[in-house]
Amino acid sequence: MRRYVISRLAQTALVVFLALTVVFGLVRLSGDPVLLFMPTDIQAKDVDEFRQRLGFNDPLAVQYARFLGGAVRGDFGQSLRYQRDALGLVLERLPATLLLAGTAVALTLVVAIPLGVVSAVRRDTLLDHLGTLATVLGQAVPGFWLGLMLIYVFGVQLRWLPTGGTGGIAHLVMPATVLAAFFAARIARLTRSTVLEALGEDYVLTARAKGLRATGVIGKHALRNAAIPVVTLAGLEIGQLLGGAVITETIFAWPGLGRLTVQALLNRDFPVVLAAVFVTSATYTLINLVVDLAYGWLDPRVRVT
Amino acid sequence: MRVLTMLVAVLVAAAPALAQDRIARKEIVVGLAAEPRTMLAVTIVDWTTNTQLEHMYDRLLDRDPKTLKPKPMLATGFRIVNDTTWEFTLRQGVKFHNGEPFNAQSVKATLEYIQNPASKSHYQAYWKAVKEVQVVNDHTVRFVTDKPWPALLDRISLTDFLVLPAKALKEQGAEKLAQHPIGTGPFRFVEWKRDERLVMERNPDYWAGPAEVSRVTFRFIPEFSARLAAMLSGEIDIMKDVPPHVVDAVDRSGRAKVRSAVSSRINYLALMTLKPGPMQDIRVRRAMNHAVDVDELIARVLQGRATKICGPLSPANVDWAPVECYKHDPGRAQALFKEAGVDPAKLQLTLDTPSGRYPLDKDVSQAIAAQLQRLGIKVNVVVNEWGTHLDKVKNRTTGELFYLGWGPAIFGQTVVEPLFKADQTYASYGNNKVVDDKVARAITLVDAKARAAAYAELQKLIHDEAPWVFLWQQHDLYGVAGHVDWSPRADEKVWMYEAKVTGR
Amino acid sequence: MIRRVLGVGLTLAVLTAALAAPWLARHDPARTDFSQSLRPPGTHGHPLGTDQLGRDLLARVLHGARLALFIGGCTMVVTALVGGLLGLLTGWVEGWPSTVIMRLCDVQLSFPFILLAMTINVIVGLGLRNIIVSLSAAGWVVYARVVRGEALSVKQRDFVQAAAALGAGRARLLFRHVLPNVAPSIVVVASLQFSQFIVAEAAISFLGFGVQPPTPAWGSMLAESRDFLYVAWWLAAFPGAALALTALGVNLLGDWLRDTLDPRLRV
Repeated sequence: MRRYVISRLAQTALVVFLALTVVFGLVRLSGDPVLLFMPTDIQAKDVDEFRQRLGFNDPLAVQYARFLGGAVRGDFGQSLRYQRDALGLVLERLPATLLLAGTAVALTLVVAIPLGVVSAVRRDTLLDHLGTLATVLGQAVPGFWLGLMLIYVFGVQLRWLPTGGTGGIAHLVMPATVLAAFFAARIARLTRSTVLEALGEDYVLTARAKGLRATGVIGKHALRNAAIPVVTLAGLEIGQLLGGAVITETIFAWPGLGRLTVQALLNRDFPVVLAAVFVTSATYTLINLVVDLAYGWLDPRVRVT
Repeated sequence: MRVLTMLVAVLVAAAPALAQDRIARKEIVVGLAAEPRTMLAVTIVDWTTNTQLEHMYDRLLDRDPKTLKPKPMLATGFRIVNDTTWEFTLRQGVKFHNGEPFNAQSVKATLEYIQNPASKSHYQAYWKAVKEVQVVNDHTVRFVTDKPWPALLDRISLTDFLVLPAKALKEQGAEKLAQHPIGTGPFRFVEWKRDERLVMERNPDYWAGPAEVSRVTFRFIPEFSARLAAMLSGEIDIMKDVPPHVVDAVDRSGRAKVRSAVSSRINYLALMTLKPGPMQDIRVRRAMNHAVDVDELIARVLQGRATKICGPLSPANVDWAPVECYKHDPGRAQALFKEAGVDPAKLQLTLDTPSGRYPLDKDVSQAIAAQLQRLGIKVNVVVNEWGTHLDKVKNRTTGELFYLGWGPAIFGQTVVEPLFKADQTYASYGNNKVVDDKVARAITLVDAKARAAAYAELQKLIHDEAPWVFLWQQHDLYGVAGHVDWSPRADEKVWMYEAKVTGR
Repeated sequence: MIRRVLGVGLTLAVLTAALAAPWLARHDPARTDFSQSLRPPGTHGHPLGTDQLGRDLLARVLHGARLALFIGGCTMVVTALVGGLLGLLTGWVEGWPSTVIMRLCDVQLSFPFILLAMTINVIVGLGLRNIIVSLSAAGWVVYARVVRGEALSVKQRDFVQAAAALGAGRARLLFRHVLPNVAPSIVVVASLQFSQFIVAEAAISFLGFGVQPPTPAWGSMLAESRDFLYVAWWLAAFPGAALALTALGVNLLGDWLRDTLDPRLRV
C-alpha cells in the first residue's frame, strides 16, 4: 500500500509537469501577450523593448528552461498584468474557490445521492418522474442562465439575497446552488442508474427472496457496488468544480481562482495561467489518488494496479 | 415551517448595507467591470486602474472638463523658460496622506521612479523626452527636455504624471506602496480586497477642501447583467457602460437614471491598405464611405447614442477642425466602384470585429455587412476575442475591413501619429509621404494658431484619403442612482470628488 | 411508459424541427431588419419575437435545432469512439501503454473543461467547427475513465474468468463478453454527454468563445440574450426552453435504450 501511494505521488508530479509543459506550449501559441497589457498609443519600438526585457524575444527553448527552473522553486514569475508574484496571486484566490466548491459538494452529497437512491428504489413512481425532471433540467439549463435568473428573482425583485460578492452566508447561497446544480443532477442520475443495476443483481434478488428488508439489502450490498461509477464520476467532477466555477464566479462576482484563470487567459497573462494550472492540476490529481484508493475499499475484488 | 422562517430571517439580516444607510452616511458604491492592476501610480497604463487611483493621487495640472484647458492642481502656475525648459510653481501647504509634505522633491522622485528601468513602468516611454527634473527651490521645479516638446503640457495634465511621495517611496519601497498607496488626493486608502472591492475614505485635509462623499467603494462585477441587477437592487449607486437598449428600463425602474456624456473615444471601420486588396484603391475606399449609412447605424443599432464623425478627429479633440461628411449615397458608391473597375456583386470582403469591447461592436459590424449587402457586396463577419483581434491587427492578418475604437482621443497627436503610418502597430493605412510629413510637422508646432492650421489641413487630407469609414464618438452611458448627484465627463474620468449624496 | 413516450416524442420533435426548419420558418434566420428590432412575441409575422437586429426568433430557434443536433451528434460520436475504445483497452490490457494513457487523461482532466476548450479556441479560432474540436478534445476522457472502471470490474467477474479458462482468445473475450457489459455504461454516459455538450456550447459562448453570430446556435443565442435580459425576456426564454426540452428528450431516450440493452434491470 505504501509503495502504491508513493508511486502514485510520483505519477502526480509527472502529471503536473506534463500539464505545465502542454499549457506552456498552448499558451505561447496563442499569441503575443505584450500588446495586451500595453497602452494602445505606445510606440512599436517601446513595445519591443518591453518584450526584450521580459524575455519574450528569446527562443522558445530558452524561455521554457527558464520557466522550469523557476517553477521548481515555486517561482512562476511576475504577473504581466498586475506586476506581482504570480503564484502568490493564485494562492490568494484559492480559498475562495475552495469555499464555494466545498459548499457545492456538500449540497450535492446531501441532496443528490439520497435523491438518486430514492428514485431507484421507488422506480416509476411520481417521485421518480419528478426526480428525473429535476435532474435533467439541472443538466440542461446552463449555469449562467440559472444564475442570472436567480439574481433577478432573489436579488432584484425580492431583495432577499445579495446579487454578488462575498460577505456572509447569504452571499454563498446562490453561487453554491448554481455551481452544485449541474454536478448534483449528474450525480443523482448516475446514482439512480447504478443503484438500479445493483438492485437487479442476483445476490440482491436472493437476499430479498430470503426475506431481508429492502433498506437492509440496499444499504449493505447494492450501494457498495453502485458506488463505483458514482465515485468515479464524483472524482472527475470535483476536480472540474475547482476551476469550473469559472462561470459562477464571473456572474456572482466571486473573487476566486476560476475567474482569475479565465481573465489571465484572455489577457495572455502567461505566468498566472501557468501558476493556476499548477495549483489546479496538483489538487485535482491528488483528489483522484484518493478516489482510486477508495475503489479498493469499495470493491475488494478490484485491486488497482 | 418555523425553521424556514428563521432561515429567511438570518439570511435577510446578513443582507448588504441598504441604500438608506449609505445615504445617511454619505457613502457611494461604484460598480466597475474590472479591478485596478496596482495601487502604485504611474506604473501601469490602464483606464480602470487610473480612474480609481486618481481618487488618491493628484496631478500637477488638471484639465477643465468642458473647455479642455489646463487648470492648476498641485502646480499653481507654469511658464516656459526656453524651448526645452518648463518651470512649474508648486502649491504650498499640501501634505500626503501619511503627513509627509509635498514639495519639489516629490516631483523629482516621481520622474526618477518612472524613468528607472527597475520600476518597469509603462510610462517610461511617455516621458522619454524629459532629461531631468531640476529642483529650483522647495516649491519650484523645472522640467528639462532633450528637444522642444510642446506636448509636455498635455502629458502633464493627464494621468501620466501622478505625484508619488518621495520619502515613503525611499523608505518603504515600491512594492509596499503598490499594496498600500499614499498620495495627496481627496480620498485615503482603506482596503483593497482583490477582485472584490476597493474602499477609500474622505481625506479631511485635502488642499481643495474635503469631498462631500465620506466613503467611496469600488465594487468589481465583471458580468454586465449582474452589475445591472446590483444597480436595480440598490447595491451600487453608479455603473458605467449601460447599453443603449436598456436605458429605458433603467430610467423606468425608479431607482436610477441614465446620464450620458459624449466621449472623446471614437469608433471606426478601418479599410486595410497595408496589404494587397481592393481597399488599396482610393475610389473603392470613398465608395465604401458612401455605401455605409452611418446615420442609420446610429439610429437603429445604437438607439441614437453616438455622435457621427466625418474625419479622424472628433469635436471632443482639442485639435479638431470641421470637415465635410461623406454622404450616404448608394448611387455615387456604385459609380465609384465602376470607375475603379470593381463589380460590387462579385466583391467578397471579410470584416474582423471584436466582441463587447466597444458598444455593440458585434452588432454594428453585422449591420454594416447587411448594409453592404444591399449593394450586392458579400461581407463575412469574423468575430474575434479581443487578444486575437489585436494580434490580427498588429500582424496585418485581418480581413479587408476591421472594426476598432480609439481613445481617449483628446489630443490630435495621439490619434494621427499612431494610426496613419505604416510602421505603427495599429495602423491600417500608411506609406503616404505627404501625410507623414504633415503629421511630423504638426506635432512639433508650439504656436497655437500654426498648430490649428496644420491640423485642419491634415484632417482634410486624411478625410479625402478615406482610410476609414468614419463612424462616431461613443456616448458613455452611466447608470446613476436617484440619490446621487454626479455627471459623467467626456474624458471618461469617474471621479467621486465631484459627487454629492442627496437624501431622498 | 410515460417516460418512454415523452423521450421519443421530444426527440422526434427536435429531429423534425431540425429537418424541416427551412420550411417551418418563414424567415431567413440571418436576415436583419432594423425596423423590427426587439419585438415581443405575438408581433405580426414574428410569433416568437425578434432579436436586437430584427432577426426572427422562431426561425433562429428552429435552425438552432439543426446546430444542436449537429454539435451534439458529432461530438458524441467522436468522443464515444475515441474514449470508449481507449477506456476498454486500458481496462483490459495491463502494462505501460495503459498507464501512459491514463496519465494523459489525468493531465487533460487537471484543467477544467471550460478552460481547456477556451485555450483551444483561442488558438484555433472561434466558430462552429472549432467548437466541435474543443468539445471533443475535452469530452473523450469521461468515457475513458468510466469505461475503464467498468472494464476492470467486469474483467474479474466469474463468467469472464470462466470463458478465459475455457481458452477463449483475448479479442473474443473483449468483444463477446466485456463489451456488452460495458455498452450500457457507454450509452448512459453518451446520453448524459449529448445534452451536456449542447449546454457546454452555451457556456463557451457565454465566455465569448463559442459559435458566433449570425449562426443560430441555442447556446450562443442564450449567451447573447443575457445583455437583454431585462428588456427582452423572450430572447432567453425560447432558446432556453428548446435547449431544456431537447436535453430532456434525449436523456429519456437514453434511459429507454439502456433499459432495453440491459435485461437485468427488468426487475
